[in-house]
Amino acid sequence: MIQKLVNILLVEDDEVDVMNVKRAFSKNNIKNELFVAGNGVEALDMLRTSIVPVPRIIILDINMPKMNGIEFLKHLRDDETLKNISVFVMTTSNEDSDKINAYNLNVAGYILKPLSFEKFITSVATLKNFWSLCEM
Amino acid sequence: MVGANILLVDSNRAHFENTLNVFSQIGIQYNLCFAKDDIQAWLMLTGDKKLSPLPKIMLIDINAEGINGIKLIEKIRLDIDLKSTLIFVISDINNDKNKRAALNLNIAGYINRSFEIEEMINFFSILNDYWNNIEFSS
Repeated sequence: MIQKLVNILLVEDDEVDVMNVKRAFSKNNIKNELFVAGNGVEALDMLRTSIVPVPRIIILDINMPKMNGIEFLKHLRDDETLKNISVFVMTTSNEDSDKINAYNLNVAGYILKPLSFEKFITSVATLKNFWSLCEM
Repeated sequence: MVGANILLVDSNRAHFENTLNVFSQIGIQYNLCFAKDDIQAWLMLTGDKKLSPLPKIMLIDINAEGINGIKLIEKIRLDIDLKSTLIFVISDINNDKNKRAALNLNIAGYINRSFEIEEMINFFSILNDYWNNIEFSS
């Protein structure tokens, strides 16, 4: 069976981090279409207007202007049409409160961005392998 | 997460024993616990003799006979101490209704399982890498 490629929405305000994700995707030969939103408000808009088509998953930063990752998650889980989307947090925040809030809003994983790009590539490879197991 | 508990809910004890063997072969550091159905699982999560520490990861075969997996996940999501549990649904049966219901309850993944040892080793190696790649609250 050929599984339809899942569309990935990256919610990230830092342009360098967006570029790093794109490079890590390329290094890992990840072919899924990648959409980028600069904050939670923009991300909700892109999801509600179906700019990001179904099926979709979200990679979410925590510290962002306008609407941070935790606020975004609350809106997502309160929205009947969006609440079932899988969310993977990818952040530099090692705050326990962020981890607790994110898991209470049922993210599928909380990933700390490694400092080195090599380790980041490995981290994305692990995600790719996990996604390959999952049905959407 | 060395020493942390993972709860497997599966109607077949032999599957648990095979999974234990696979954990040992791969060198997975988690302590695998077993519940034969949703009722026993709920007692292990909330009863007088509940697991300590409570598992942050659960593996549930929601399509196994005698397990009401969706009801169990619903109860977990409504419980203040359990709602954050990372739940991986594993099944060898295609049941689209249960899959939709589980995904709506924000499981971490819906995964087709195999009972072939080689495939189990590959499957749990990927899952273990993923568990080691993510952060948990302390």
